[in-house]
Amino acid sequence: MIHCHDLHKSYPMGRGRKHVLNGLNFHISPGERVGFLGRNGAGKTTLIKLIGGVEMPTSGKVRRDMTVSWPLGFGGGFQGSLTGYDNARFIARIYGSEYAELREFVEDFTELGRQLKMPVKTYSSGMKARLAFALSLAIEFDCYLIDEVIMVGDHNFREKCHYELFEKRSDRALILASHSASLVREYCGRAMVLEGGQGTMFSDVNQALDVYNTL
Amino acid sequence: MASLAQGWRIQTRVIGALMIRELTTRFGRENIGFLWMMVEPLLFAVLVGILWTFMNGPTKHGVSVMAFCVSGYIPLVLFRGSVSRSVGLFQANMSLMYHRQIKIMDFVLVRFLIEWIGHMMAYFFIMILLIALGVFPVPYRLGFLLLGWLYYSFFTLSVCFILAPASEMSEILEKFMPVTTYLMIPFSGTFYMASWLTAEARHVVLYFPPVHAMEMMRYGIFGHHMTPHFDYFYPLAVSAVMLAFGLLLCRRVRRHLVVE
Repeated sequence: MIHCHDLHKSYPMGRGRKHVLNGLNFHISPGERVGFLGRNGAGKTTLIKLIGGVEMPTSGKVRRDMTVSWPLGFGGGFQGSLTGYDNARFIARIYGSEYAELREFVEDFTELGRQLKMPVKTYSSGMKARLAFALSLAIEFDCYLIDEVIMVGDHNFREKCHYELFEKRSDRALILASHSASLVREYCGRAMVLEGGQGTMFSDVNQALDVYNTL
Repeated sequence: MASLAQGWRIQTRVIGALMIRELTTRFGRENIGFLWMMVEPLLFAVLVGILWTFMNGPTKHGVSVMAFCVSGYIPLVLFRGSVSRSVGLFQANMSLMYHRQIKIMDFVLVRFLIEWIGHMMAYFFIMILLIALGVFPVPYRLGFLLLGWLYYSFFTLSVCFILAPASEMSEILEKFMPVTTYLMIPFSGTFYMASWLTAEARHVVLYFPPVHAMEMMRYGIFGHHMTPHFDYFYPLAVSAVMLAFGLLLCRRVRRHLVVE
């Protein structure tokens, strides 16, 4: 389970503070797939960062009773100056998994070939997404946090993600922040619409999408 | 207890991984690689030592000028190196905050450890070399040299633990760092022994923990050729209080850290 209790997050802005999230309450059970919908700046990424423990809530609490991946996005999680292999080695070390296995999985999943010997900062955003996905899928988590990134890949990449995430690991929980109605409809069992710092959870995805479309 | 043991295992794993990462990004894998980390302190101490020997003659106040210089400079460059590396540390490691098991304290500790090991290797290397050349005395009591080194290192670490979060809270700090570390030199015990000073001056400098540590180290090297002035408890207590304050600051900064 992931419990989010009365989550508030605000950032300093000029003399005052910008309140991004204002008292969110929800929980996510093992195996559940939840979509986060909201316009740009509604706080989807912020919420995913709080759930992933990348940033701390201003007040409120996130309790994680299952293992949660780091947020998969374009930026965080790896070092631009290091090569793909070095990043893989680093991830293997800090998560205590076998490097040889992880390396094999990454080579196979990313199909980046010799590019893996190059610094990550030279990668295109599609290539970064491949590496980010490969690294986090190589470590087994109970819940994966995915921030948009699934959208940038090409057809072949999406197929692979689909297989790894939705077929092979269909028992895992997943949180997907996205603008894509079709993705959320296809993969999520529930969806939360974020607006004005408040979140409304809908157990019917189509209903959530209708609300989202009127925003 | 199980979770404490597990936490320890995770942290040692993380620190190991961070050290390897830091070493590869800083020194690369070419030529002598991570051995570069001892080159800077080595050159510093030896070249300044040679300079001083020319300026002051081989001995002063009854001790070898070369040995005096090396024993002062290596800890000083450890302090300066560690302190300058801990400024802006969290910004530089931002992308790693995505992994929950990496704590911001790990960054401070890792950068310090790398400096520490590098300088310690340099110290050891120079000492052996200079002893062989006959310009450095065989340490009178190695235990005191080590103890002083640990005291000095502990103080340096506690300063790093304050500066790393403080530089995150205020950008102005960075501008004042070079001049502050320079002004700290008289209070580091590098260029004098406490017994050379007047009683009043000695009283003042002994408020600074590194002076105690430096006296311990030099007593360990020169033994009877000097009259050491140090306390065991005071420098430890000051450093411990500073460390506790630093850890509190780290906690506070982590709560407000905005990660890209």
